[in-house]
Amino acid sequence: MELAKKIGILANAAKYDVSCATSGSKRKNISGGLGNAFSSGICHSFADDGRCISLLKVLFTNQCIYDCAYCINRRSNDVPRAAFSVDELVDLTINFYRRNYIEGLFLSSGVVVSPDHTMERLVSIAKKLRIDHKFNGYLHIKAIPGASSELLSEAGLYADRMSVNIEIPTDNGLKFLAPEKDHASIIHPMLYIKDRIVANKEERRVFKKAPLYTPGGQSTQVIVGATNETDSDILHLASGLYKGANLKRFYYSGYLPTNEYDKRLPAVAAPPLKRENRLYQADWLLRFYHFNVNELVDAAHPNLDLDLDPKAAYAIRHPEIFPIDVNRADYEMLLRIPGVGVRSAKMIVEARRYRRLDSDNLRKIGVVMRRARYFITCNELPSADVVRDYQPDALKMLILQNAAAAKPQQLTLF
Amino acid sequence: MLPVTVMHQKTAILYDGSFEGFLSAVFDIYQLKLDPFSITKDTQALLFGNQMVVEKDVAKCERVFNGICAYAGIATCDMLYHSFLSCAPNIEMDIFRYLQMLFRLKRDVSGMMGESSILKVRQMQRKVTREAHRMLMFIRFEQAKDGTYFAPIAPQYDVLKIIVSHFKDRFNDQCWVIYDTHRDYGVHFNGQDVALITIDNPSFNLENGRLPESMVSESELEYQHLWQVFFKQIAIKERKNVKLQQNFMPKRFWKYLTEKRR
Repeated sequence: MELAKKIGILANAAKYDVSCATSGSKRKNISGGLGNAFSSGICHSFADDGRCISLLKVLFTNQCIYDCAYCINRRSNDVPRAAFSVDELVDLTINFYRRNYIEGLFLSSGVVVSPDHTMERLVSIAKKLRIDHKFNGYLHIKAIPGASSELLSEAGLYADRMSVNIEIPTDNGLKFLAPEKDHASIIHPMLYIKDRIVANKEERRVFKKAPLYTPGGQSTQVIVGATNETDSDILHLASGLYKGANLKRFYYSGYLPTNEYDKRLPAVAAPPLKRENRLYQADWLLRFYHFNVNELVDAAHPNLDLDLDPKAAYAIRHPEIFPIDVNRADYEMLLRIPGVGVRSAKMIVEARRYRRLDSDNLRKIGVVMRRARYFITCNELPSADVVRDYQPDALKMLILQNAAAAKPQQLTLF
Repeated sequence: MLPVTVMHQKTAILYDGSFEGFLSAVFDIYQLKLDPFSITKDTQALLFGNQMVVEKDVAKCERVFNGICAYAGIATCDMLYHSFLSCAPNIEMDIFRYLQMLFRLKRDVSGMMGESSILKVRQMQRKVTREAHRMLMFIRFEQAKDGTYFAPIAPQYDVLKIIVSHFKDRFNDQCWVIYDTHRDYGVHFNGQDVALITIDNPSFNLENGRLPESMVSESELEYQHLWQVFFKQIAIKERKNVKLQQNFMPKRFWKYLTEKRR
């Protein structure tokens, strides 16, 4: 099979994996070597669906012994199959890298013969790149559930980041759609890798030259909307793994009807993009805004509000903590104000050391005042217009109207 | 006794347009106790009023530079240099106001965002570093027959000099040229050192920055084709979102992007 056809099939087979981050690793180039890692990551292109392309994301092969209902590569699907040779994939990576197309390689595969057999192939590609070709660009290696810890251990020595995908957020859901798998078999390698990363950090504190082990940490992804899980199920899982497995990223992938003939799957017309977006926003609140998962979803609100971003929704549910005085409040409290992001919260803390801030200063700093005004007091505003004066629903309407007014729709001609 | 007042006359400063020249001008302004109302390289700018031409002077430039470093650190020097590269209208005066504040208070003043010139300097710095980062993202090399990798760029701001070190670290075992087609100068790395170059009779296509087919290496077109196939296949059709794509990858970059060529 010619190479162009192979790359087409195997990129197409890998496209549902969302992870593309190239951050978190500071691997340096070595003399006579090629490439390095850029700690905040670099996106090199953006595909027609708007998602970033930073790694050569292909499957090593799309043959698979499993038959998971949600996967296009399941063994019962009649799709064209292909496999790279080790040298082909190494050569592609190096030549794409030299032309600045990519940051590195995303190494994943369908499971052939056995998990160990597959993992061994992936490790041999990584090894060839790192040792024979002195390649120091970014390598993301997928840990195949069920592979031996020796192989995971070796993979981590070459990888910048590793990942194991959970795919279905609840254990029951997973057993229903993929009877050959369960959560325990996925969490197991994740915890093994986590322990190695923690131990490696300790080692490198004592002995600087100890070899790196997966410096960029690990990530995972779940499919949203393939079973009847709630946002609360998903976010509790995410929050638990951020803490328990030191995950760097948790990706959410809106369910696309890939295998419509399988009656175990829901019939949907389009992927739940809005829900996916809200989950990412909530994820950001967990990671960068010091929110606790119970503040975003609870028994009374098991799902996120689709109309309103989770931070504004939180603010409307908790009028008692507002309005917040931007000239006095802690950084943590500033982060809770709708319309204030991490950057502007930091700038507020910096700028108010020199003078009291008024609404004009805030606007220049980058605070979205049409949203923040209901939740703050600053120099000239304890305006009458604060959150306490409104019924929650009325305030929600007001915020939505403001947002709509800021984004005027183009007039239709007919 | 009557108080003696010195009448500072407002002066327009003319300098050579380089950052070194600008810092030399700052030195002269302090030494001669001038009160500038504009600092510019544009000789046409001034129709009336006082005007003074300042020569670039490495010693003066260094003293100002060291002064900034001493009070506010090298990060501030970088920030001022980056905002200078924006060539925004009157950015020189904003940087000068920034320096006045810094030399008066003798400490880091970057947090004083209530001051309009400090905010302006910070904002321009952000724009310039963002454009520089986009070069790290969107530069595409073509390999020539002699093995050299060639990439044309046309950035909005003059960022070539601040991205060189990234490519030198990363592509240390290959020779490359990055050429700014708007400002007509480039950087050549020969495996050891980088040098500034200008190409008088460019052999590359001025429209799309490509090398002629006779000049590219044997496998170059094959890899370009493979990359285009990958780019097409990695998109999920059901999620097509051209607007989002353009937000991240504005159209002005497309002409030099291998994957966007037809």
